Amino acid sequence: MDAQYHATIENLERLRAESRVPAGEKKIEAQHGRGKLTARERIDLLLDDGTFEEFDALKTGRGGSLGDAHTYPGDGVVTGHGSIDGREVFIFSQDFTVIGGSLGEAHSQKICKVMDLAVKVGAPIIGLNDSGGARIQEGVDALAAYGEIFHRNVRASGVVPQISCIMGPCAGGAVYSPSITDFIFMVQESSYMFVTGPSVVKTVTHQEITSEDLGGARIHSQKSGVAHFTSPNDVLCLREIRRLINYLPSNNRQRAPILDLRDPADRNDPALDYLVPENPNQTYDMNVLIHSILDGAEFMEVQPGFARNIICGFGRLGGQTVGLVANQPAVLAGVLDTEASYKAGRFVRFCDAFNIPLVALVDVPGFMPGPDQEHGGIIRHGAKLLYAFTEATVPRISVIVRKAYGGAYLVMNSKHIHCDVNYAWPTAEIAVMGPKGAAEVIHRKEIRDARDPEAVLNEKMAQYRHTFANPFLAAQRGYIDDVIFPRDTRHRLIRTLQVLEGKEAEGPERKHGNIPL
Amino acid sequence: MFEKILIANRGEIAVRIIRTCKRLGIATTAVYSDADSRSLHRQLADHAEYIGEAPARQSYLDGEKIIAAALASGCRAVHPGYGFLSESARFARALEAAGLAFIGPPAAAIALMGDKIASKELAAKAGVPVIPGHAEALKDLEEALAAAESIGYPVLLKPAAGGGGKGMRIVNRKDQMADALAASRQETEKAFGDSRIFMEKYIEQPRHIEIQIFADGHGEVVSLGERECSIQRRYQKIIEESPSPAVSEELRQRMGKAACDLARKAGYINAGTVEFVVDAGGGFYFLEMNTRLQVEHPVTELVTGLDLVELQLRIAAGEPLPFDQAGVKFRGWAMEARICAEDSERGFMPATGMITRYAEPRGKAIRVDSGVQTGSKIGVYYDSMLAKAISYGKDRETARIGLVEALNGYHIEGVVTNIDFVNSVLSHPKFADGDFSTDFIERYFETDRPSLPVDERNLKLSALAAALIYHVRKMAVRESVRPMVSRIGAGKNRRDSQRYFVRTENEEFEVLLEGSSTGRLWKIHVDKDKFAVETPEFEFYRRRLKLNIDGRIHRFRLRIEGSFFWIAFCGIIRYFEIYSPKEWDLLKHMPRRLELPPADELHCPMPGLVVDVPLKKGDRVFRGQNLVVLESMKMESGVASPVDAVIEDVLVTVGQAVETGDVLVRFKS
Repeated sequence: MDAQYHATIENLERLRAESRVPAGEKKIEAQHGRGKLTARERIDLLLDDGTFEEFDALKTGRGGSLGDAHTYPGDGVVTGHGSIDGREVFIFSQDFTVIGGSLGEAHSQKICKVMDLAVKVGAPIIGLNDSGGARIQEGVDALAAYGEIFHRNVRASGVVPQISCIMGPCAGGAVYSPSITDFIFMVQESSYMFVTGPSVVKTVTHQEITSEDLGGARIHSQKSGVAHFTSPNDVLCLREIRRLINYLPSNNRQRAPILDLRDPADRNDPALDYLVPENPNQTYDMNVLIHSILDGAEFMEVQPGFARNIICGFGRLGGQTVGLVANQPAVLAGVLDTEASYKAGRFVRFCDAFNIPLVALVDVPGFMPGPDQEHGGIIRHGAKLLYAFTEATVPRISVIVRKAYGGAYLVMNSKHIHCDVNYAWPTAEIAVMGPKGAAEVIHRKEIRDARDPEAVLNEKMAQYRHTFANPFLAAQRGYIDDVIFPRDTRHRLIRTLQVLEGKEAEGPERKHGNIPL
Repeated sequence: MFEKILIANRGEIAVRIIRTCKRLGIATTAVYSDADSRSLHRQLADHAEYIGEAPARQSYLDGEKIIAAALASGCRAVHPGYGFLSESARFARALEAAGLAFIGPPAAAIALMGDKIASKELAAKAGVPVIPGHAEALKDLEEALAAAESIGYPVLLKPAAGGGGKGMRIVNRKDQMADALAASRQETEKAFGDSRIFMEKYIEQPRHIEIQIFADGHGEVVSLGERECSIQRRYQKIIEESPSPAVSEELRQRMGKAACDLARKAGYINAGTVEFVVDAGGGFYFLEMNTRLQVEHPVTELVTGLDLVELQLRIAAGEPLPFDQAGVKFRGWAMEARICAEDSERGFMPATGMITRYAEPRGKAIRVDSGVQTGSKIGVYYDSMLAKAISYGKDRETARIGLVEALNGYHIEGVVTNIDFVNSVLSHPKFADGDFSTDFIERYFETDRPSLPVDERNLKLSALAAALIYHVRKMAVRESVRPMVSRIGAGKNRRDSQRYFVRTENEEFEVLLEGSSTGRLWKIHVDKDKFAVETPEFEFYRRRLKLNIDGRIHRFRLRIEGSFFWIAFCGIIRYFEIYSPKEWDLLKHMPRRLELPPADELHCPMPGLVVDVPLKKGDRVFRGQNLVVLESMKMESGVASPVDAVIEDVLVTVGQAVETGDVLVRFKS
């Protein structure tokens, strides 16, 4: 070995060591002091032991044009690939200890490189965001850098799953990369996302507001609907990402992995026969049904705190991942409103893009009435869900549990918008509207003129209930494929998924449809 | 014998009576209210009659409807069970007038024993010791003070009417009398419309022990031994056993004789229970006589080998007792736990909901008397007791351990129950020693912190179970995705040992699992302790886990909630968090956060009916002030304000039904 080779190796090792602690131990202590892990610690927890392969550890920026010529190996982001429970993913993890994790040209190029490769090989992309934003010192180069990422986010959308995890600040234009991706995780109290921060808000609108109240995890998971999952800290958040990855296929050409939880496919549940209360005005918790039918009662709910009148999430039936969309009668009687329509619509499109069969559990009294909803665009938001379900070509099954009224019935993956199989429980009520409303419309005059209007109304309601508020008329028409016993729901769904496995559906040729965004 | 009887009750006791009837070939009619139309007792009876709306007054307490149902369905007799109409002399008389037999004592005996004063006088006449007390209702404070002086403090103020501890007050000193008397009067007046208060000596460290007697219409009276019922909370029994660890053979004979003497004196026929309070020196005093079958009768059945319901039926049909006192033999020990829908973590508030999973413990020495099944709905209208678990053993410890293990495997989901609370009582060393009196629960369980640390071994077994489930599930995920992973030339990555750190709110454990992911035998270290564990085929959906640990079977109930494992075992409930060494190392940087509920709302602590809202918008209220009064499970209780505040909005009205978590009142922030 010659001396030069030795020197090269020494140099390499020095650079590598530097790249592992690019900004010094003090900064790492500060990061820990904020209750946050470092970029590398996060990767280490997220990926299987010893599987991380790093790219561009030695890449640096060109130095700022404002005179700050100092450069850092890695340029504030760690990128590469590794496995999660044996399946490869690509990852980038922003390093807040390096110039606040700010995004510049080299930083962006590193991210773009793993994104390009992820699309090429068909593996998910996971971004761990912890960045102060655009590196102002790089001027328009920094903006161009963002644009490159946005462009790739869009190109990769529907090709490989893209997961963003906000583990620190994410402000300004930076928010738009996560917002294009499929799922956003946030860590409570150490992460926030907003387009303009509290100081700008104060200057422009004179409102005093904290980062947490403006764009913290709580706001985005309950109010804005930006975040899909939240966790109390980094460690648990990274675990949740692993959990989600286990439900998903690696790309749009594959199916999700099968996981055998040894839950018998023909397990029935007598409790379900009693789930729907006899009194139609009483509510029940749809989660009981969801937990009963899914393998091992394991359910990963998406946006659990937002638009709680509809439940979306992943579970398994007979080992196979399904996307579940269920009305929640315990919240707002399970109506569809603007937020619920948006939430479910986006979820349905994700499932369709990634070959995840859809199961709808229907108990919907209709769309939410009122000027707030009408003026808020329930027409165009409701249309999103209608479009999403109709367009989906994955296996689609519906189970009508109780109410299926009016337009909302059609929207909720009905036979009429070509779901593959539509079941109903004996408690199903499929009709244009509820008995009271219907009786009032049909027999308005008779009721008005009666000596005892209430008695007549009750009589007409009972009549209507008897004629329409049941699954039999729909079954006679063939709109319902079968009326099933509640206790058998799990088994029937699994059998149906098995038969639909070979489903092929081709749409008309087009560039793309025009979903009412 | 009767060909067909009506059971004027619901829940577990109705089911239990039906069981004996089936064995004896007696047909049964059940009655049910709106709330019970899908209930187990209705399904099991040969025939069922609808008797009205859910509130008991309009159904199970409506004697006329029940008599009509009995006549309509061709019954000859009515079994009242316990509670409801079981101790109504009027109902017994009405049955007689309708030509129906009452499966219970004569109306006159019910009336006599239902009067606390008269029954006490009768007991004294029969030579049964009674607690020293003031013979008349207290007129005023002066009389109360004088009476207390002659009886000697501490004294107990006791209302003439009612039961269940309502209106009772212990007075330790002279200066407490005025307040106590006023409060007692007010409470009993409100509850029963009767403000008569009596006074008696308060027995310290008392035990509540009762004697089961049976009398037939032919003059025979026998005692079936005692039941120890000292484990109570607010005068509600929780655990009962027979025999009592505090009763010697000699005391048993004396108490039995006293009870039989009283029954004879009262002209009593059928099953009855004479309740005594027993002091530390073995002195016993008559409390009252219950003229019905008791909830806790199964413990007597297990140690005597008799079916008390069968005896009741035979005696009501005019048959003589098939044995005399010499024929009553006691064998072994029996212990019973009452399983109630109540939340012990939230002040024992009644719980409601639908039972989504239900699995009873099974075994030769286990009996479960239950009124519920999967799908049962638990509402606010009736008593919160769902079932009773009873164990039998050759001695007390065998019975106790049998009951603890039975409760470990008693799986009820959908409704919060007291199973784990009862199990923590059963597992308490003082209880295991038989060293307790009626203040046991208050003393050891109602303080802020349990007075004794939990059993360390049991806690470690829970931690072990949590880590094992976590690990096996993780391995299952690995195995599942294995076909999708390139294996060629893959390194040897199969670890046969794995270390985890397990923590709860206050405890930490290091768990080392040694075994293979496909095998069933594990060596598991928890801190310094080592266990040999054999696992079953894991079935995660069951949420029950049976592990063979060091040669003994242990049952755990568990739920996976995200990253947390909820485990209940021997009365210990914990949320376990499980971390790999790598995670554990980094966890030190993670802040621990407390989730605080918003303080600008008052949430409903339990389901119930609003009976009073003594405030309006804009009122200034103080911390601890009752803002809303709820009625639930026959109890009225106030919901106190958590803050000093001004009322922004009142969201409920009198008569409204509310659920746990509903917002009752909003405060101005």
